[in-house]
Amino acid sequence: MSTLLELDGLTRRFGDLTALDDLSFSVPAGEVVGFLGPNGAGKTTTMRAVFGLTDLDSGTVRWKGERVGQAERRRFGYMPEERGLYPAMRVGDQLEYLGRLHGMSGPDAQVATTSWLERLGIADRADSKVDALSHGNQQRVQLAAALVHSPEVLILDEPLAGLDPTGIDAIGAVLVEQARSGCCVIFSSHQLDQVEDLCESVTIIDHGRLVVAGRVDDLASSGARRLVVRVEGDRNGSWARAVAGVTVSEVDGGAARLVLGESVDSEAVLRAAMRAGRVTEFVFERRRLSEVFREALQ
Amino acid sequence: MKGAIILAIVAVFVAVRLWFRWRRRASPTRPRSPIGSGPFTGDVALVAAREVRERIRGRIFRVGTLLILLVVAAAIVIPTINSGKVQAERVGVVGALSTPLRATVVASGESVGTTVQLVSETDVSAARKDLRSGRVDLAIVDGREIVVNKPVGLADTSTTAELVLALSKDLGVAEAVEAAHLSPTQSARLSGAKALPVASLQPGAAKGATHTTSLVGLILVFVMLTQYNTWVLIGVMEEKSSRVVEVILAAVRPVQLLAGKVLGIGLVAFAQAALIVVFAIVLAKAVGSDLLHGTAPLVLVSTLVWLVLGYAFYSWVYAAAGSMAERQDQVQSLAFPLSLPIIFGYIMALTTVGAGSPSTFFQVLAYLPPTAPFAMPVLVGLGAVAWWQFAASVVVSIVCTVGVARLAAGIYQRAILRTGRRVQLRELFSRTAG
Repeated sequence: MSTLLELDGLTRRFGDLTALDDLSFSVPAGEVVGFLGPNGAGKTTTMRAVFGLTDLDSGTVRWKGERVGQAERRRFGYMPEERGLYPAMRVGDQLEYLGRLHGMSGPDAQVATTSWLERLGIADRADSKVDALSHGNQQRVQLAAALVHSPEVLILDEPLAGLDPTGIDAIGAVLVEQARSGCCVIFSSHQLDQVEDLCESVTIIDHGRLVVAGRVDDLASSGARRLVVRVEGDRNGSWARAVAGVTVSEVDGGAARLVLGESVDSEAVLRAAMRAGRVTEFVFERRRLSEVFREALQ
Repeated sequence: MKGAIILAIVAVFVAVRLWFRWRRRASPTRPRSPIGSGPFTGDVALVAAREVRERIRGRIFRVGTLLILLVVAAAIVIPTINSGKVQAERVGVVGALSTPLRATVVASGESVGTTVQLVSETDVSAARKDLRSGRVDLAIVDGREIVVNKPVGLADTSTTAELVLALSKDLGVAEAVEAAHLSPTQSARLSGAKALPVASLQPGAAKGATHTTSLVGLILVFVMLTQYNTWVLIGVMEEKSSRVVEVILAAVRPVQLLAGKVLGIGLVAFAQAALIVVFAIVLAKAVGSDLLHGTAPLVLVSTLVWLVLGYAFYSWVYAAAGSMAERQDQVQSLAFPLSLPIIFGYIMALTTVGAGSPSTFFQVLAYLPPTAPFAMPVLVGLGAVAWWQFAASVVVSIVCTVGVARLAAGIYQRAILRTGRRVQLRELFSRTAG
């Protein structure tokens, strides 16, 4: 899988505040990449930097090895954090206009507008003004605005915020479909469960610096092994505390979550559990993305 | 005839409204004409085309244009309706009035541009009563005395006052002629006396007409500059406050968006201005109004040239100001200082038109781009400027407009993406901006 979008040494200071601090990472084509970080980590500034919407003190953004300029950006699609459309302009006209600004011909823009409105289930609202639409439909139009010109790079700032589960599914399906067709897709979100479901890879930043980047599978299965063990009659997992190299991270309703040290044999843990009572559950568990996130930021 | 013309205008307005409505209803799914098609290409043209299309489609623009046309129609048609009815002056007559004196009264009326209607009064007290009630405008008692309701001064320019002054003189002369017992031929000679012709070394000018045109042109420039520049300011502010600017600027450069906006609003503005002017000229000709009669083509052309130059100069400044605001209340605090040079130029120009000759200070104002759109057309109207001076002022204005546009584009670029509160100028020029 080739890397298409590269961010190299991005640095941006606002007075005393360093929003981006020598930030480098890349976005491969064909994957959905989750872009994570706590509030104020520099996610929005990074995305704006790709579109030249904020000046950089140093660093470059490259696409297919070339420095990104206006011509390249026309092939990118952008959904900013603060949604922006002309409130009194008709939905169809608005999408056509944006398509044309991205270099499409008039007829092509019309065709693409109709097709995206149908795909997102709002074809009947083409002649409505944007401010007459519900929040969820406005969000769909905003996504269509990022997609109408068939971009090769799709950058979305919090595209799932404020959506109901149906909306999240609809937009999520579009993101996956775009990635499968060869597009670079990166989006930021605070809803880590959804990110885990949608993304193959994540990039986590904090204080403008890269903290962790990698495939979700690798991150979830890396680190110490985790076991969930349930022993009948046991309420506090006291049996496990006696096993050397095992840490009880939490006990929830009789199920003890254990973190195993590198030298610990899981069969020894099972034998210790059987000695304590009848074992009703014994499961290896992957790290949740939220755990990866918390541990990365510690 | 005039009633028919007014009815025809109203009918045309109604027909146009109905046609638009019918077209909207008849074909809701009609394919949209692609945005930016036609003579425009490129990003600036796309932005300008959107601006033109959305503005013309807007209800506010349509209703506003309709209202302006109605006001213009009223201003042209109503005076002609009133001027058609020449009110006769009613003169009460107490006692006998000889035939020559009657003729004198009628002739005096004609000399002040009115007709005289004689009303017989039984006695002086009846005449006084009619004077107080306004049934007669003045009364002649026994051909020896003129009675009026209110005193008449020499500076009074009402028709009644002019008639009273003419009558008091003419009747006095007529009485003196009678008393001199001249022969009818001698009397006729005296009463037929003509004033001597006055020859002037300098050619005369149709001052009234030029004066009117200067004034109408000034009002046009003032109203349009304030109106259309406010459109620019609010248009930029709305793009910023709705955050759509971030989506647009991901595809085009700030200076392209800015230039497209200024161009698009400018095109709509001049289309509206041209519609109003053409409508006014055609209507004035149709109803025979003298409001635009004798319009000097040179003054008209210079007014239009300065309307364009004035818009070009101010629109950039207003756009830069719009990029620093994102709420209506911020717009007002920004628009007021910007409108001061416009108001100043307008007042100076009005004063100079009234005075009839320009001061040196006013002539200087005609070369400064912020005030030239008002001062230069006035100088042209007064014939106080040579063609090369006019051209020099145009060049100064164009050069300054280019400089202002560059500065405005710099401010716009730095301010348009800064949200949250009003942007201060000094922030835009510091290192940390952006």
